[in-house]
Parts: sequence; structure tokens; C-alpha cells
Amino acid sequence: MERDTLRILEMLNQLSLTDTQKEDFLAFCASREQELEVLNAVDTSDVERMVHVMPILTVVREDVASQPFSREDLQRGAPETDEGYWCVPRVVE
Amino acid sequence: MRYETVIGLEVHVELATKSKIFCSCNAKYGAGPNEHVCPACCGMPGMLPVVNKRVVDYGMKAGMMLNCHINRTTTFDKKSYYYPDLPCAYQTTQWFAPVAVNGTVEIETSKGKKSVRIKQIHMEEDAGKLVHDIAEDTTHVDFNRTSVPLIEIVSQPDLSSAEEVEAYLERLKMLLRYAKVAECAMEHGTMRCDVNLSVRPEGSDKLGVRTEMKNMNSIEAIKHAIEYETARHIDAIENGTEVLVQETRRWDDIKGKSFAMRNKETAGDYRYFPDPNVMPVVIDDAWFDSIQASLPELPEEKFARYTEELGLSEYDATQLIKSIALCECFEAAYAVCGNAKDAANWMISEIMSILNKRQMTYDMLSINGTALGELIKLVMDGKVGRANGKKILAAMFEDTTIEPVAYAEANGYVMSNDTGLVEKVVKEVIAAEEKAVADYKGGKEKALMSIFGRCMKELKGNCDPQTLRTILTDTLNKM
Repeated sequence: MERDTLRILEMLNQLSLTDTQKEDFLAFCASREQELEVLNAVDTSDVERMVHVMPILTVVREDVASQPFSREDLQRGAPETDEGYWCVPRVVE
Repeated sequence: MRYETVIGLEVHVELATKSKIFCSCNAKYGAGPNEHVCPACCGMPGMLPVVNKRVVDYGMKAGMMLNCHINRTTTFDKKSYYYPDLPCAYQTTQWFAPVAVNGTVEIETSKGKKSVRIKQIHMEEDAGKLVHDIAEDTTHVDFNRTSVPLIEIVSQPDLSSAEEVEAYLERLKMLLRYAKVAECAMEHGTMRCDVNLSVRPEGSDKLGVRTEMKNMNSIEAIKHAIEYETARHIDAIENGTEVLVQETRRWDDIKGKSFAMRNKETAGDYRYFPDPNVMPVVIDDAWFDSIQASLPELPEEKFARYTEELGLSEYDATQLIKSIALCECFEAAYAVCGNAKDAANWMISEIMSILNKRQMTYDMLSINGTALGELIKLVMDGKVGRANGKKILAAMFEDTTIEPVAYAEANGYVMSNDTGLVEKVVKEVIAAEEKAVADYKGGKEKALMSIFGRCMKELKGNCDPQTLRTILTDTLNKM
């Protein structure tokens, strides 16, 4: 993990880490990367990709539309609404 | 130095399902803000997605139409990004095992035929809509579109001109509409396109700096944008007018320019990881076979059948295969009237003409093909005149429940076999059209048409033209 990558992750996650937190996190990542290098050294080219840890499949539903919830119910906890919209701080100039 | 443009497209297509991809909310466009939402699609904690089977059906079907390999185990992944149009702060999409991979689309341009490779087709949810012009300090959020199902069709960078891009998009639209998986109307936003473009010296195998223009929703705009971007890249390379960087750009069709939006994200930025809330979808043989059996006859196959088996001209067949709606209407009409040439003539001369005049696309045709066949048969059998047949057709456009036979009878459009009535009308018209009669008698053959037309008008078109002509000329010649 490079410092630049950590800076991007901070930005993407909207975090503000202290210098100590950054050092701790970089050290943690370096340790994990060493472990990953060990794993990457194993040849898995003929191993089938595992798609899930459990041998279970998804449940599918038929394409039938319904509307069991009202807008009013869903917006009851919203900090701000207006004419049926949720309102958030402006995201464009 | 000569340059070549290298273009790859990412095409988002909204699937024509009734409900959303991971919840049962209505997927139809046009409701009031946030009327088609539930705790799942507006990102309430604890809600779990349940996959809509028809989305997988359509994803597979699209893949088969584009000659793709179908992944029999396909999985969903989370793509992280923060923006208010995405209530979960991630989009559920497919990264590691998309439903379809490694396909091809054949296109034809003025330079000949070309095969465009498809990298993959993946299923995913759409984002919500942000409205910025209601208030100054807030953005209004509508989640109706959130979780509406999409497929994203990713091509390899095999396209090299605006003409090829247009041909590719038209071909995609045609195939997906034939398969009835999507409306593909760019003007309605149900088909959107991201254009990845770079420029390199002709013959080079090294790709140049790539820029991406997102959410293009008209073929004309895409063509203009490709021409502009190509010129901008070449100018930067040759004259150093700017430093090209990998970035996402916005196309402004009014200004005819592209503008930098942000540095291009890479896959790492999105931190894709398997969605633990959606289990793998395994497509067994029965499911796969049922979708394969539902594939439509392709446009080329219809063309061959229309020309070889039904005896249509290449022109007629080419017109009809432009749209699956036209084909279906034609085939149903032909099944009833039994005359392919007549059915094709009505489709091309009348129906396509009406659609064009009304500025409707061919896929918007809602006329019942069986009813059209009945109408064509009425005209073929001489029970309704062609002019009145057109009037019935116009009425059928307004009301698709109209039954031609009953409508013709109710409105007096059925041909009269009453020769006594025809003789009476002929005599009345001859009496009223003294000058035309005199002209005809004086040798002006054209005057006969005028008298004929007046007679047909008085008979409201409900007379066999040959019968009228015989009675009229006999009467005139006896004078």
C-alpha cells in the first residue's frame, strides 16, 4: 500500500486519518501483503474458481410488480424532503 | 502522418421487465417522484436483494443474440462509489463472472463488413435520478430508477469511425428489439452509450491515451463527439495544443465540444468485491435450453424466407425486416389474407407511410396483424374499395380494437352489387356534367375520368371500378 493509494482511499471513503492512524494502517497492510505473497506463490491455475463459501444458490422471483410501501412511510425518517423527493446538500456547482 | 481512431463502446440498455432487478417495485418510467420505491431499492439497512428471474432470462437472451458464451454460473458483485443517486453507496453489478462473454456483432458500412468483438455483457442495477434545478442549495433525489435492470454491453476497441459506431449501435438495437429484451430508445434514455476513444498512428499496434465520454444518448451526438474528439487528440499529438490524459469527459452537443469531468477511474477505485447478499445464479440445462428455444428468427433469416419462400422482392423484404413489429404484423396479415405481395404492399405503402407521417418509430406499430389481414382480404375480394380500405386502416390506427368487417358494414364501406343504383347515379352525374359529357363525346378521353370520379364520389367509393366503368361507357356510348 503506497501513501498515494491511502490518500485516494481516504478521499473515496470520506475519511480523515491522523498521521498515527495512517502509519498503523500502512504497517497493517504491509503485513497482509506479505501473507498474500505467500498465497500468490501457490499455483492455482487448474483450480476452479470458488464463487461462494457455501454451496448455496440464489433464489429467484418471478417478474411481478407490486408496491407494498408508501412513499410517506419510507420518507418518515428523512431529515429533509420536498414534494416527494429526498433532499441532500447540493452536489453540483 | 496518418492516424486511426480506436473506439470501444460500453452500451447500457434498460431491460423491458415489469419489476426491478432486486425488488418487486414497478420498473416502469413515468411515476411521480419516489412512488416506485421500497426499503430495498432506497437502501434501507438490512434489506436483502432477490433476483428477478426475467432479468437473467433477458441477460442470457441478449448474450445468445450477440453470439456470446453464457457463463452457466454467474455472480453479482458490489461496485463502490459515493453519490446521492446510489442509496447503498455501491452498485450491484457483475465483475468476476458476467452472464455473457466473448461474443461478436457483424456490421456493414460503406467500407464493407466487419465483425466487432463483444468482451462481455453484465447485468446490473441503474442509479437514481438527481434534480438540481428545483432549489438553489439542495439536490432533489428520486429513486424510482434505482435498481431498474440494465445490461451493459462492452465491446472490444474494434471500431474505428463514427460510421462504424452508428452501424454497430443500429445493429445492437435491431437484435435486442428482435429478442424483445429491451426498447433500446436512446431518445427515452433506455439505451445510453459511453464512448472510449484513442488515436494512434495508422498501422501502430500501441494504443494511445484513452478518453471516455459518458451517457451519450443520441447517435447524431455520438457521431459529432467522435469527430471532435478525434480531431482534438490528433491536434494534441501533432501540435502539442494540450497534454492528453486518461479522463472522463462530458459532451456538450449545443457547444459542439467535450469538457473534462474527472480523471478516469480504474477498476481498483471501485473496489469490486463479491456481493455476499446475492448468491451465485446457476443456469441449468433446462433453463439454458428454454432461453435458446425462445430466440427469434434473425433479420437475415427472415429476409431469406421472405424472398425465397414468399416471393417478395429484395426491396420489400429489406423494408419489412427493419423492425420486428413490422415483421410480426406482416406475417399475421399474410396468414389471414394469403397474399404476401399484397400484405407487403399494405405494410410498406400504407402502414410505414402513416408511421413516418406521425413521426412514430416502426416498433411503435400497434395495429393487429390479423385484423390487417382481414382488411386486405376485404379489398382483395372486391368487398371494399382501396380508398375506403385506407379509411378503415386510418381508423384502426386510432382504435386497435376495430374489426374491419364489422367496421366496413357499420360505416357503409361495403361495395354495392346493386347495378340499378349504379345506373341511376351514372344518369344523374351525366345530367349534371354537361360540359364533361360534351368533351368526351367530342373525343376528349380524359373527360371520362372526370365523370367517372364524380360517379365514384356519389357512390361513396362503394362500387367495383370495373362495373362502374362498363355501365358509364355503355350509357355514354348509347347517347
